[in-house]
Order: sequence, then structure tokens, then C-alpha cells
Amino acid sequence: MWRRNLVLSRLPGRATRIAAAAIVAIALPLAASAQPARATAATAAANQCATCHGGLSGALAASDVAADVHGSRGFTCADCHGGDPAATDKAAAHATAKGFKGVLGGAATVAACARCHADPGFMRTYAPAQRVDQAAEYATSVHGKRLAGGDTRVANCASCHGGHGVRRVSDAKSPVYPLNVATTCAKCHADPAHMAGYTTDAGAPLPTNQFEGYSASVHAKALIGKQDLSAPTCNDCHGNHGAAPPGAGAVVNVCGTCHAVFAERFATSVHKDVFERGCVECHENHRINQPSDALLGTAPESLCPTCHSDDAGAKAAATMHAQITGLQTAVERAEQQLLAVRNAGLEVGDEELKLREARNHLVLSRTEVHTFNPDAVTKVATEGLALTTGVVDAAAAGERELAFRRRGLAAAMVAFLVVVLGLVWKIRQIERTPH
Amino acid sequence: MWQRALGWIEARVDLSTVRYLADHKRVPIHPHSPWYYLGGLTLFLIGVQIASGLLLLLYYRPSAGEAYESVQFIVSRVEFGWLVRNVHSWSANLAVGAAFLHLFSVLFLRSYRKPRELTWVTGVFLLFLLLGFGFSGYLLPWNELAFFATKVGTGIPGSIPLVGDALQRFLRGGDDVTGATLSRFFGLHVALLPALLVVLLGVHLLLVQQQGMSVPISVRKRLRPGDEVPSVKFVPNFLLRELVLWYIALAGLAALAAFSPWELGVKADAFAPVPAGIRPEWYFLAAFQTLKLLPSHIAGIEGELLGVLGMGLAMGVLVLLPFLDRRSSQEKPSPLITVVGVIALVYLVVMTVVGYVAA
Repeated sequence: MWRRNLVLSRLPGRATRIAAAAIVAIALPLAASAQPARATAATAAANQCATCHGGLSGALAASDVAADVHGSRGFTCADCHGGDPAATDKAAAHATAKGFKGVLGGAATVAACARCHADPGFMRTYAPAQRVDQAAEYATSVHGKRLAGGDTRVANCASCHGGHGVRRVSDAKSPVYPLNVATTCAKCHADPAHMAGYTTDAGAPLPTNQFEGYSASVHAKALIGKQDLSAPTCNDCHGNHGAAPPGAGAVVNVCGTCHAVFAERFATSVHKDVFERGCVECHENHRINQPSDALLGTAPESLCPTCHSDDAGAKAAATMHAQITGLQTAVERAEQQLLAVRNAGLEVGDEELKLREARNHLVLSRTEVHTFNPDAVTKVATEGLALTTGVVDAAAAGERELAFRRRGLAAAMVAFLVVVLGLVWKIRQIERTPH
Repeated sequence: MWQRALGWIEARVDLSTVRYLADHKRVPIHPHSPWYYLGGLTLFLIGVQIASGLLLLLYYRPSAGEAYESVQFIVSRVEFGWLVRNVHSWSANLAVGAAFLHLFSVLFLRSYRKPRELTWVTGVFLLFLLLGFGFSGYLLPWNELAFFATKVGTGIPGSIPLVGDALQRFLRGGDDVTGATLSRFFGLHVALLPALLVVLLGVHLLLVQQQGMSVPISVRKRLRPGDEVPSVKFVPNFLLRELVLWYIALAGLAALAAFSPWELGVKADAFAPVPAGIRPEWYFLAAFQTLKLLPSHIAGIEGELLGVLGMGLAMGVLVLLPFLDRRSSQEKPSPLITVVGVIALVYLVVMTVVGYVAA
């Protein structure tokens, strides 16, 4: 009880605390009442559930149990559903006196899972490194709060992890494996029928295009397209057990979890207090496209004219855009010139290092855009331009060296030809002379 | 002036043997005579190797920490360093190519037959030495490609039973390719192998001078009794022609050095992942490809071991060829040797091409 209160006291907002208390108040007593029925390997041998349910289909089927992470550790049907697994008679097996709960759903599912997963002492036996606050976190989520309010259509543990056939999160077949999370969330959130009636805080219908937007985003391209597990999916921004939309002020913090330098620069910018939705103002939320230099500046297709025209902001945007595109052009030109002399066989290792440094400055100048301070961008871009100038000069020197080699080779060839012709003339002269 | 200088030397050194050789050495003239130039061409390219190698030694530093940087310095900062390094790299490859052509021309013309068996044996060992120069020299720039190719190359002898592990450790100077391997290969490249080369080349050239050029059996058979094969004097007729070829080779080397420089690549990093397209120099590619294509086990024996043993056997047969080809020693045609030679040549060419395509 002391621990439960400690967790709840940390939760923000009165409504959240009340909802969490309700979930925990329902789930934990349910969990405590079933405590003695926890599995041991011995009970698995006496499990008669599969005898009947093995032949059933649909919700009553004992399907996928073989692949279930709990089943593989000796847990049986009765550990979640209660009843008497040793009984061969249906009535005896399903006796409420034996704690039979039947098909679980909503709060009963959360309670069944929390019975073990919220018990640090028990979990230490099986997965000592695993967190045990999922139920408490769930209670703070939109799902948890709605469930506490009696909405049984919201997701509970089994909605995401599966009821039977639960796999480890690290198992690629698990619905909550990073590559599968978006699809799992989309089962409900991309279904207009399921989401009907849900609204945003402003009262507008909750959209169902998040999955479509995410699928087209730079994050999905990295995660799904390139199998880059460091790229984010739904739960990385919304939380998993405590899933909720980030609040307006929290977006920068959420994006800054990975894009730390951008968040740091943005925190110093004039836009920090102006952009209510933080990063989303320019980059959108689910449909986050590959950012480009075209977003910046005063051209009609850029974003800045949305708010700025003929003011200091527009001037700053034009300056930053010009600095970045200028450096980009200089880097590309230096690359081409260096490639030409490299392909001709000159050793340009030092210049390639300089060019790499110039490319880093191009990236840094794009980072500095998040300060929305043209001086910061100009400083980095100028350093980058100086590096490209050095590379271009070296490439030009390389071209002069190549020209010198070609001229030298031509002169050598003339000399070789003269000697060879002289030798041929001498051979003919010798062989014309009779012995 | 020239006569006065020669007179001054002859007053002090007996040059009668040299003068006799220059006056009397003759080279037979027949349709196969052009093949005689290949030995001289190989000798010239070895000379280029020695000269350019000595120049590279002025700047090269044989340690894992400095080797790559010193070669980078040679090709980018030293005056004409790029030319010397490129000539050395190209000339090494051309020398091996010329030596292979020389070997096959001697084989198909049966020039190894009695009394030139020892000339052949020393020649084959000279080819092995050139391959040793190539293998040891490939690692010296300490770049990524050479590092991993050497790792593969030095790993192959490890499959030989009983002595394999010891041989591998001897080649690498430890369990793996490290700076110790580089020092070892440098020592082999500039000291041990050149010493062996001088001795073997000396014997080979001495035998060639003593025995003169071999006339093919087919040319001899066409002669009428009492007739002799037409010939020209070695000095100056043949020597001047050889000189023309050497100049053309030098011009070719200069053009290759200027237009197709030898790439240095990136510095070797033992902790980097093995880059794609690792392969040895072209003259080891056929052997490398053979080992790659062999199944892991053949009749219960490790495929790589069988491959290595097979190559050892082929090298042994090559060395002992004059003693195995009895018919040629009796001045009789030996078509079996021609067939085997053609098969070997086609096999080497095909496997080399396959190796390039596969990489």
C-alpha cells in the first residue's frame, strides 16, 4: 500500500490520480485475491483445460498457448482464468469457488496481468530487470483513464500484447516488437468504426489517419524501410503503457529525447515561446517528412512566409537560407573537382578529410537554423566555406599537376620514339653490312 | 674515347672471356625466335624493380603506424615520388606477366630439354621468387585491401597438416596479421628475396650464356643433313632489338604510371569490417578462385587442404617437368605436354577472369 501511494503521488493532475487510483483499486485487490493460484511447474502436469479447450475454436480455443512466453515458463490457463485445472468435469473446473473468472476483459485483464507484473518480489524470480510499474503507468494513460470510467473498448494489456501466445517484446513476431508497434496501434486507431465517438480535448472527432501519416514519415522509412530499430514508432513519443498524446509544451521535450541538439538550439530561439506546438509547427507530427533546405526562406513553397513577410523574420529566413544553400553549392563543387583529380589517380586523402569537415559544417549550419538566429548560421557556414575554398585550391593544384604529368609523358614519349627509331636505323645499318 | 677507356680497363682486367662471348654468341633465327625476347624483357623489368625499389626505400617506413603515411607522403609530397611508386607497382605486375609468358613459351617450345634442365629449374624458382616479391610487396603500403588479402593469403598455408600452424605463424610473425607481419614482409621483400634472386638469376643467366639459345625440335627436324639453323650475332644484332623492346616497355610503364596510377586506398584497420571485393593480386587469383570453388569436404578430406596439396603437387610437377618429359630429351615430339600445357594455361586464364568477375 505504501508503494502504491508513492507511485500515485508522483502522477500529475488530480483527474489522473483519481483514475489511476480507481484502476489500481480494482486491479490490485483482484490480483491479491487470486494470489495462491500462481503457477508452478507441477500444476502444468495436472492441467485439464487443454483437454476440452484444445478442440474448441474462437475465443474459447486454447490456441497459441505453445508459443506463449508464460506457457513456456510453466504457467497454466488457471493462473489467469482461475478455476480448477485438475478437474475433469466442466462444472468443477469452472467453479467460482475455485476462483474461476472465465473470459477476461477490460479491468479483469489488467488485474490478471498486474497480479504478477506489478509484484517486484515475484517478477524477480522470472525477469529481475523487468519493470513492474506497467499497471500504474497504464492507469495514467488515456486508455487506463477511460477504462476506469467504464469504457471497455479501449486497449488493455491483451489488446497490444495478445491474450494467448504472448511473446517477449524482443521477439520479432510480438505485436509490440518495434517494427510491429505501429500496425498494432493502427488496429484501433486507424479504424474509423472503432474510433467513432472519441474526440480530442477540443471536442473534434479523433482522427484516424495517424498510421497513414506515420507510414509516410521519415521515421517509418528508417524503422520499417531500413529496419533501423533506433528510429521511433508510436510508443517512443506517446509512451507505451502510459500512452497519451504529448501535451503542447511537451513536444520539444519528446522530440528532444533523440534530437537533443535541435531541442537545445530551439530552447534559445525566439520561437520557443511562440510555437505552441513546438517542433510540430514546421515538421508536423505523424507525417514527419525528410526536412529540406526548401522549408527555410522566403520562397512561396517554404514555411517561413506562413507567418513572415517583409519583416525582420523574413530577412533572417532569407539570410539563413542563402548561407546554407551557398555552402551546399560550394561543397558540391569542391566534391566534383576533387573527384576529378582523385579519379585521375592523385592522392587527395588530406583534402577528403577537409571536405568531410566542410560537410559536417553544412549539417551544423542546418542545426543552427533551430536557433532562428542568422548570425549563428552565418558563423558556421563561413567556416565551412573556408574549408571548401581550401579543397578547391588543392583540386586546382592537382589539375595543374596532372597537366604537367601529361606534358612530361608526351616529352618522354618523343624521346623514347627518337631512341627507338635510332636503334631501328642502327639495326638496319648493321644488317645491311655483309659479314 | 670509348676505345681508350676500354683499353685502360683491359690493361688491368682480363676481358677476353667477355670479348669472346660477345664475338661468338649467336641467336638462332626461325619462326619462333620472337619468344627469345621474353627472358630479356623479364630481366629488364626486374632491373626497373630494383632501381625504383631502391628509390622508394629512401622514404618508406616499415611500421604499421607509419607505412601507409610514408607511401602517402611519397606519392603526394616527394618530387616524382608518384612516378617511382607507380612504375614500381606496374613494373612488378608486368614482370610477373612477362615471367609467366616466358615460362609458357619455354614449355611449348620444349626449351627445357636436355641439356637445359637446370636452366628451367632455376627459372621456375625465379618465377616463385617473383610471386614471393609480389605477395610480400602487396602488404607494404598497409592499406585495407592488402591487409585483408594478406590475412586470407597467409591463412591458406594454415590448412596444411602438421606444419600448417607453424608456417602460418612464421609468415605472420604471430597469430594474426599485425605490424610484426609488416616488418617481416619488409625484411623478406628487401633483403632475403633479393639475395636469393641474385644467386638464382646469376646461375640462370650463366647457364643461358653457356648453353646458348635452344632451337625447337620442329625447327631442327626441318633441317636438311649438314644444314645449320640461320643465326645472328647476339652483340650487337639481337641486343639492339632487345633494347628496342626495353624502350617500348619503358614507354608503356611511363604511360601507365601517368594515366593509370596505382591507387593507395584507405589505411588498414584491423578492427574494421572486412570490405567487399577482397581479392589478391591477379597472379594469385586463379589459385584463390580454385580454393573458393572447392567444396568444404571432398571424400571426407577438407577441400582447402586438398586444394593446397594439389597446388603443391602442380608446382612440383612444374619444377620437375624436364625430367618427366623423356620424349623431348630424345628430341621426339611430346604432344601430351602440349595438351597439358594448353589446359593449364586455359585454366589459369579462365579462373583469373572468373575471379575478377566474381569479385
